[in-house]
Amino acid sequence: MSMIRRLLALDGVNVVCHFRDDGSFVEGYGLMSHDDMVRLAHFAHDYRRMIQGNADQLAMFTGMRGWTPPRGWIIHGATQVVCGVGNLVCVVDRTGVPLNDILLELREVSHW
Amino acid sequence: MAILDELMRLPGAMAAFEFRGSGELLEHRIAYPDRINPATLDLLAHMCSANMSIAAMQARGWEQVTAMSGFYPVQEFTLIGFDWSVVVSALRREQHKRVGQSNLPPFTGVVLANESADYEAAFALLEHPEPAA
Repeated sequence: MSMIRRLLALDGVNVVCHFRDDGSFVEGYGLMSHDDMVRLAHFAHDYRRMIQGNADQLAMFTGMRGWTPPRGWIIHGATQVVCGVGNLVCVVDRTGVPLNDILLELREVSHW
Repeated sequence: MAILDELMRLPGAMAAFEFRGSGELLEHRIAYPDRINPATLDLLAHMCSANMSIAAMQARGWEQVTAMSGFYPVQEFTLIGFDWSVVVSALRREQHKRVGQSNLPPFTGVVLANESADYEAAFALLEHPEPAA
């Protein structure tokens, strides 16, 4: 069984996708069509690059160490949360989910 | 600002701050002035403001192209850096927008040390409802 599929066992996790360093889709599971998972993977890849650039510039302009390389990002919408760590992205229900656990698990699985 | 003082009580809190929608730093609290200063917070605030806007564009675009919902409006943005994280909330602004107010309150944010960061606690504080004046 794919390692990333175990993320779906966490409360609130509806979708999880894995993408390559160029943003191409590797695999995804959950409540989303294949086409949308491919879009999600591209979005997460682009967003990761943008966050990386932001963190690099912040470190350069401020001289403050510890921002880069970034480990991940989280966007909270009205009812949905999107989390990215490494080459993984997941969509989570917003209400009452164990986000600390989800982030830890994402981080662990992203190293596989 | 009571919310900033509450945020500073979070595990690993290094700084708490408020900033305009255009990114300028307003109020702030700093726990470790040798590590983070107001000039850094100001740049961080500008970065977070820009990211909130970009995330809003992406959320709107995503909802249009997929017909999914629940992504817009963007209410919080979190960057997890290598050692530090920043969590920023626009929730108070959204509450004011919902009741039709054009004069919006600032964004609120907190910088956390990853080692002891409790993101759920930070979100719970930032999401604490505040009646629109």
